[in-house]
Amino acid sequence: MPRWIIPVLVTLWLAGCGEQAWQTKDISDLMPPLAFELVDENGNEVTADRFLGKSTLLFFGFTHCPDVCPTTLARLDAATQRMDEAVRDDIRVLFVSVDPRRDDPETLRTYTDAFGPQFIGLTGDKTAIDELTRRYRVTYGYGEEDSNGNYDVSHSSAVFAFNDQGEARLLIRDSDPMDAVVADLERLVEDA
Amino acid sequence: MSRNSLASLPRLVRPWCWLLLLLIGTSGALSAAELKVNEARIRLLPGELPAAGYFTLANTSEADITLIGANSPAFGNVTMHRTVNQDGVASMKPLAQLELAAGEQLEFAPGGHHLMLMKRTRALAIGDDIEVTLFFANEPEQRVMFRAVSPTTQ
Repeated sequence: MPRWIIPVLVTLWLAGCGEQAWQTKDISDLMPPLAFELVDENGNEVTADRFLGKSTLLFFGFTHCPDVCPTTLARLDAATQRMDEAVRDDIRVLFVSVDPRRDDPETLRTYTDAFGPQFIGLTGDKTAIDELTRRYRVTYGYGEEDSNGNYDVSHSSAVFAFNDQGEARLLIRDSDPMDAVVADLERLVEDA
Repeated sequence: MSRNSLASLPRLVRPWCWLLLLLIGTSGALSAAELKVNEARIRLLPGELPAAGYFTLANTSEADITLIGANSPAFGNVTMHRTVNQDGVASMKPLAQLELAAGEQLEFAPGGHHLMLMKRTRALAIGDDIEVTLFFANEPEQRVMFRAVSPTTQ
């Protein structure tokens, strides 16, 4: 029997019987539970407690973002479309605008409605947004205004996933394969 | 006599018109065969929010080309951008021009190069065909029809 066969068999056995690893980045021990005080797309003040009971995906962006933000939201939509309806209904996507100057609740509502009912827009004043972005160690910043008054907003491109209790679980990037995202989100809902 | 020569003038001009039309038509066909635009689409967002234009551009000619911009009668402002993702932070950088070597293909795709289309000049709906003109440094401009697609299109 070749000498390499035992380690290979042991590895296979461990992989088969041990707890399955997440396929996207596990942040269970790295990030605090979901907490914020923001304004929702209907103009109401909301806290994170309001969103417990379902798995929550949190994404920072802005509506005047033609490429990255819709691409990420479209990917999340595509991932949830591949799930059973019951699983899909247990996932909510919170789109937090870091551009409150242009993104009032009405703009946010029209924007998130274009992606689907599970997408909810949130924003707030600078203090509230800074508190949340600092909590998850992400940055954002404003570019220079062009002659049309348009400006770019740099923002974190990853999606934070929380379980139904609001505990941090995953960091999902646009580079993660779709199969991995679907498998992890299904597990996130099933673990609840 | 003089009436006759006047009447014959347009007849003299006519062959030249046909030749001119033929030349215009031929040059268009040549450039279309050497620069191929595929999968041209504009992902519309609601209201007045800026849209993104995506396409593939294949340079099947034997010369390098340089894309220097685009415009569209449906938008007041069209610019080329590149999304940069650095240490998990995404931002957009303006693109003045883009070189495309002979035989190469270039992709304007989600998360990378894109056209940013702002200031709609008319109401646009998903499914509309929208005219966009691509400009090149040493090539004739190229008119392309882009299909308006939904925000959830990947």
